[in-house]
Amino acid sequence: MSKFQGLDAYISTTGAYELLPFRFERLEGGEVVLTNAVGEFAFLPQEKLQALVDHQLPPTDSDYAMLRMKHILREPGDEATLELLALKTRTRLSHLANFTNLHLFVVSLRCDHSCQYCQVSRQSEDKAAFDMTRETADKSLDIVFRSPNQAIKIEFQGGEPLLNFPLIQYVVEKAEQRNVAEQRNLQFVITTTLSLATDDILGYCRDHSIILSSSLDGPEDLHNKNRPRPGRDSYARFVDGLNRARDIVGYDAVSALMTTSPASIARVKDIIDEYVRLGFNGIFLRHLSPYGFALKTKSYQAYNTEQWLKFFKEGLDYIIELNKAGIPFIEHYSNILLTKMLTSTDPGFVDLSNPSGAGITAVVFNYDGEVYASDESRMLKEMGDASFRLGNVHENSYEEIFTAEGLLTALEESFTLSVPMCTDCAFEPWCGADPVFHHGMYGDMLGRKPESEFCKRTTGVAKYLLEIMKKDQEAKELFMRWVNPC
Amino acid sequence: MATLLELDSSVYFLEAVQKAAYRFIDRLTVLISQTENKVVCEIEPVPGLKLSLDEVLADFKRELLDQQLRIKIKAETTDVRNLVLAYAFSRSGLQA
Repeated sequence: MSKFQGLDAYISTTGAYELLPFRFERLEGGEVVLTNAVGEFAFLPQEKLQALVDHQLPPTDSDYAMLRMKHILREPGDEATLELLALKTRTRLSHLANFTNLHLFVVSLRCDHSCQYCQVSRQSEDKAAFDMTRETADKSLDIVFRSPNQAIKIEFQGGEPLLNFPLIQYVVEKAEQRNVAEQRNLQFVITTTLSLATDDILGYCRDHSIILSSSLDGPEDLHNKNRPRPGRDSYARFVDGLNRARDIVGYDAVSALMTTSPASIARVKDIIDEYVRLGFNGIFLRHLSPYGFALKTKSYQAYNTEQWLKFFKEGLDYIIELNKAGIPFIEHYSNILLTKMLTSTDPGFVDLSNPSGAGITAVVFNYDGEVYASDESRMLKEMGDASFRLGNVHENSYEEIFTAEGLLTALEESFTLSVPMCTDCAFEPWCGADPVFHHGMYGDMLGRKPESEFCKRTTGVAKYLLEIMKKDQEAKELFMRWVNPC
Repeated sequence: MATLLELDSSVYFLEAVQKAAYRFIDRLTVLISQTENKVVCEIEPVPGLKLSLDEVLADFKRELLDQQLRIKIKAETTDVRNLVLAYAFSRSGLQA
C-alpha cells in the first residue's frame, strides 16, 4: 500500500472556486494570456476563459491545477494563496520605500564627438559655460546624501564627462569622505566613450572602484558613422580604451550600450557579432530616444516602432541561437521584462516603472545646478521644455526639489493603475508609466495608449517573449537562467 | 456615413462599451449614446484606416465581449484585491 494518496484525492469534489484578481489579453492562435495580481502569467485556450469566469471550469480540466497554482483561482480553504499574493506584492513594491538610488551628475556638456542623435552635447572650448563647478557638486552631494536609500549610485554623464575629470575626482573623494560616517553602499559609474581615457584616469577608476559604462554601436564602419569625431577614429579609440580599461580597471568593470540609429536597423546580427567578438556577455537593443538632435535631424522618424520591433526580434532570435550553440549572451531589455514576468523582483528600470521612475528611481543634477526628474527630462529642457525641472541646488532645498509640482503631477497623472486602458491591460505589471516620453511626444503625461509608440513597443516585445516561451522550452529555460543568475 | 451599432444594455454595460471604444481610438471614432434599454454606438473609421471597416468592426465586437468579461472579473475580485493589498502593507507602518 502506498504511503501517499493518489492525485484524485486532492481534486475538489464540490467544484466550487473563487476567482482571484487577474487580467487577460488575446494572443495570436486562439489563446489568451492571463496575468495575476503580481504579474505571473498563464496561457489558456480562448474557450476556457469564459468557462473559467462563469465558474464552469471543472477541477478535472487539464488547466485547472495550473490556474490554482498561478493564483488565478482558489478553492475554499486555500488560505496560503492570499498570503503568497501579499508577500509577492510586498516584494515587488519594496524598492519604493527606499526612494532614489541613481544620482546622475552631468559634469560637462562638452564632447569630442558630434553624434547626430545626441541630445545634449556641445562642441565648445568654453569650459566655464558648460562644466559643473565644485560649488554645484557640493550642493548636489548634500541632496544625494539626503536620500534614505542605503544604496547610492552616482553616475557621471556628459557630454563627455572625462573632459571634466578633475571634478569627477573631487566628487568621488568628497562622497567617500562623507561615506565614512554614512556607511552607505556607494557606487560610482562614468558614462564615457573611452576616447579620452588615459592610463592615469583608468588607474584612478581602479583605485576608487569606478565602473565604466561605454558606447559601442556595432562594427567599425557603423560605429564611426554614428559617432563622428575629428580623425574619424571613434571605434579605434573605443577598442584601445576598452582593452586598457579591462587590463587596468578589471574585465567586468566595463560595459557597453548601443544606440539604434537608422543605419543600424538592417544590421542587428553584425552588431551582436561585434559585441561577442569584443568579449561582452550581453547587449541592450535600445531604440532611439525622441529628444534633442535626434528629433532635429529627423533620425527619430527614420524608423518606426514596427521596424524597430523587427530589428529587435531578429536580434533576439539570433541571441537565442548563439546561446543554444554554447555562447552565453544576454539581451538586456528582454531581461528587464522577463525579470518582471518570471520573478517577484522589480529591476528598477526607470522607463518600465510604475509609479514612474522619474525622481523616485533616478534624479539628474545638471552642470548648472538644475535638477531634473530623469535624463530624458533634462534632454527635454534642452529642447526648451522645462516641465520636469524640479529646482536648482543653489536655490532649493531637498524638500522643495522632491515635492516639486513637476514631479508630483507627473507621478500622479501617469500612475498606470488609473490610466485608461493600462488599468485593464494584462501587461501592466510588466510595463511602466513614462510620463516624460508621453509628454515629449504627445503633449500630455499619458498619451492615448492605442496610439502610443511606447505602448506598441512594450506590448510588442512582451508578446514576442510570451510567444517564444510558449513554443520553445529550451529558450524558456534560458530565460529562467537570465533572470536567476548565480 | 456612420455605422450604427445598437447594443442591449442588459448585456453590455455602458462602461464596457466606453472602454472598448477607447481601445479602438486609433482606428474608430465612436460616439456613444444611451436609450432606456440600448447603448448606441455611432461608428466612423479614422481617416487612413489600413484594414477594412468590416474587419475592424468584427474586432470591435469581440473587444466588447472582452470588456464585459473584464468588468465581471473585476467586480468579483474587488474584495480579495483590497484584502491582499491591505495584508501586504499591514506591518509597513504606511497606512493612514
